[in-house]
Amino acid sequence: MRCSESQDPADPSPMLQMQGICKRYGAVRANENINFSVTRGQIVGLLGENGSGKSTLMKILFGMVRPDGGTIRFKGQALSGHTPRDAIRAGIAMIHQHFMLVDAMTVAENVMLGWKKAGAWLHDRQVAEQIRSTSQEYGLDLDPDAMVGDLPFGKRQRLEIVKALLRGAELLVLDEPTSNLSPPEVTALLAVMRRIAGDSRSIIFITHKLAEVFRVCQEVTVLRDGKNAGRCSTEGTTRAELARMMVGREFGLATPRVEMGSGAEVLEVTTITLKDSSGLKLLDEITFSVREGEILALAGVDGNGQTELVEVLAGLQAASSGRIALHGRDLTKTDVTQRLRAGLAYIPVDRATTSLVPGMTIAENLGLRDFAEPPLRRGLRLNHPAFYSRAVSRISEFGIRADGPGATVDTLSGGNQQKIVVAREIGRKPRVLIAFQATWGLDPGATRFVIDQILALRNSGGAVLYLSSDLEELLGIGDRIGVIANGRLVGIVPREKANPAEIGLLMAGGGLLPAALEINEDLG
Amino acid sequence: MPSLAPLPSGPGPSGQVPTTSRGAAFRGLFSAAIAVLLAFAIAGILILVSGKNPFVAYWALLRGAFGSTDSVTFALNKSTPYILAGVGVAICFRARVINIGSEGQIAVGGVAASWIALNVPDLPSAVLVPLATIGGALAGAAWASIAALMRLKRGVHEVLGTLLSNFVGVLLVSEVLHGSMGEPGAGFPQSPLFPQGAWLQPLFEGSDLHAGILLAVLAVVACHLLLWHTPLGFRIRLLGSSDRAAAYAGVSVARTVLSVMLLAGALSGIAGAVEVLGVHFRLIQGFSQGFGFNAVAVALLAALNPVAVLPAGLFFGFLEAGALAMQREVGVQSSLVYVIQGLTMVFVLCALAINSKQQRV
Repeated sequence: MRCSESQDPADPSPMLQMQGICKRYGAVRANENINFSVTRGQIVGLLGENGSGKSTLMKILFGMVRPDGGTIRFKGQALSGHTPRDAIRAGIAMIHQHFMLVDAMTVAENVMLGWKKAGAWLHDRQVAEQIRSTSQEYGLDLDPDAMVGDLPFGKRQRLEIVKALLRGAELLVLDEPTSNLSPPEVTALLAVMRRIAGDSRSIIFITHKLAEVFRVCQEVTVLRDGKNAGRCSTEGTTRAELARMMVGREFGLATPRVEMGSGAEVLEVTTITLKDSSGLKLLDEITFSVREGEILALAGVDGNGQTELVEVLAGLQAASSGRIALHGRDLTKTDVTQRLRAGLAYIPVDRATTSLVPGMTIAENLGLRDFAEPPLRRGLRLNHPAFYSRAVSRISEFGIRADGPGATVDTLSGGNQQKIVVAREIGRKPRVLIAFQATWGLDPGATRFVIDQILALRNSGGAVLYLSSDLEELLGIGDRIGVIANGRLVGIVPREKANPAEIGLLMAGGGLLPAALEINEDLG
Repeated sequence: MPSLAPLPSGPGPSGQVPTTSRGAAFRGLFSAAIAVLLAFAIAGILILVSGKNPFVAYWALLRGAFGSTDSVTFALNKSTPYILAGVGVAICFRARVINIGSEGQIAVGGVAASWIALNVPDLPSAVLVPLATIGGALAGAAWASIAALMRLKRGVHEVLGTLLSNFVGVLLVSEVLHGSMGEPGAGFPQSPLFPQGAWLQPLFEGSDLHAGILLAVLAVVACHLLLWHTPLGFRIRLLGSSDRAAAYAGVSVARTVLSVMLLAGALSGIAGAVEVLGVHFRLIQGFSQGFGFNAVAVALLAALNPVAVLPAGLFFGFLEAGALAMQREVGVQSSLVYVIQGLTMVFVLCALAINSKQQRV
């Protein structure tokens, strides 16, 4: 099947058919005449950049948002004016990026929460049995008696899936389910998805990652600017074509990687150890160095010490022992501001509460880290004109799409928000940049922008430490690749010698379920 | 409901005096007006239920507040401590430091100012009044610092620290009045009358309007500049929006928390000093009664915007002044004023909560 820019539901009686869906928020057309359908037993990819209308469409499907126009038919029945409760009853389940689980309860208790069929009197053992059999059937490997607080991210996700299955969901909506998983976990999840779909249920798979679409989806629908950009079977298309449909233009060539030779060592980190209050080692003797014009990419599944490492390096947490030096100067005992002055820039993962203040203007956010220093401070006062002129130049330099320096950051898209962070941290021409999941939650266009900026910094002699759980991205950007697992740095290899399968296994090294390791059919 | 006031906007991009856009300012005023009207309407029903004519009562209230130079003077003097303490509370809340300790800080400020007024009575007025006021400010700041240090050193939440120190501060007034500073033979716990040189002089000949209102306006302007035009203000706004962002920006939480608490304490201390030096001319028991919580109400009514604290404080002052007249002339209980104040707060806060997403920090 060729990709079509418009819609023609080839299937005469799809399980889900959404037609002519329209939704406006003020002047913004979030959904404009969108058609979308899902055939029973299939996994359908829903692709689109941030703000392309995917979330709105799914919220409409789930009854969280009322559409301005259009019809929804699910299993032959019209769905309109429905609430999420109605949607669940009809057999639609939504699995969000942020799980709705109670940490202090067991798996079984979480399943029973709000589940009518669990009864007024709870039948723990029966429910536990159901969980066991369902999880066996789909290869989920869940222990009904485990405390949710002790479960790793991947297992919590499986718990959400079990909850949906037990409640009789026939159509599962998975919203970027792979963004926090290690490669083997991703593989395992995709296998689970295939089994679920094979069981005459369907899945809507929302993602940015084109590779995953090709691994599991039979069909893919692409949205752009709130409209259908195309729908096609994965057999008949290519990654490049999907990417073009998503962004509406061809990607240019990536910033070329200039051979830098071996520069001087800029950042030297020696046996950094961090213990929590109970003496547990969160970071265990981490030692590495980064040279001028080099990107050291550290792979790792979230929660293996990355947050602690970047915070120790940036000066937000003090290490229990070890030494951090920049150009030979000991920074171990310095604070955030001193490290900033020494030329250390830092892009944290969390835009909403750390690297940006959504209620402040672009100009203020660009001055977030040096507002108390000239030229942003003049005498006792803030120098507002300096804030303003810096903002004007950064906005044009980094192509930030905004109303102007006075616009508050919460009015911008995720991609433009991250551009502000990048503009602030890279715009000051740092000697060392620490970037933690700098492309998290960004669409391909914005991801590309961030990666290009980081490469440009490298090419001009900057040293970069790049941490992410996205292996593909790390292999693309890093000059050397390392893996961090359980607070340890397990080996660093040059990019030429990096083997994705090996690195994936190293990433999964510690706290990962053995089941995920067995299913590595398409790794390597 | 109409769409209501967002938090105030900051400095214009090119550094002019910060203003909200005209539309937002208009909406803010409009919503405040609606909130007040609704409050009065509901209170009117209560007046009706109590067997009085609400229109007659409100007419009395209006005349009581604005009817004569004297009534306006009275209301302005009433507003002064609300504005002074309220603007300090607004700054604290901006930094997400929940300081509800104005009452104690006012009490202690009053004690300190009184002590100075009574113990160095021979100084010339031009020295004594500022000295006593500064003494009040320092005492208020010192009192606030206790709660601040308890939070920073021991992790005691400032709500607890400031609330409890209120009781102690108020009792301290009783204590000194029953002891060294009490007027011998007086039927009520109060200090002797201050020497004339310690009196806050009226702004106009023959008027009771004292200079405190000027201090209040000055404090409002200073806090506005502080919040929007200084690095400390930037730190306050950062801390108020996110601890993590503040840490990332290299802001010291301890120093910022201490700064806002000292500032608010000093302003409340000045409020206390102004009350004893300008209104009572002596320290009397319970003089700070209720000011602390009204200060919080004023700050919230102003949406934590220092400039808006001025009208919010005036509203509270004039409302109280008018209510006393309403009680005198029509026999409506003045407690209805608290009902009106309370209802206004509820409506305004609901309106603000609706718009909390659009907050500019």
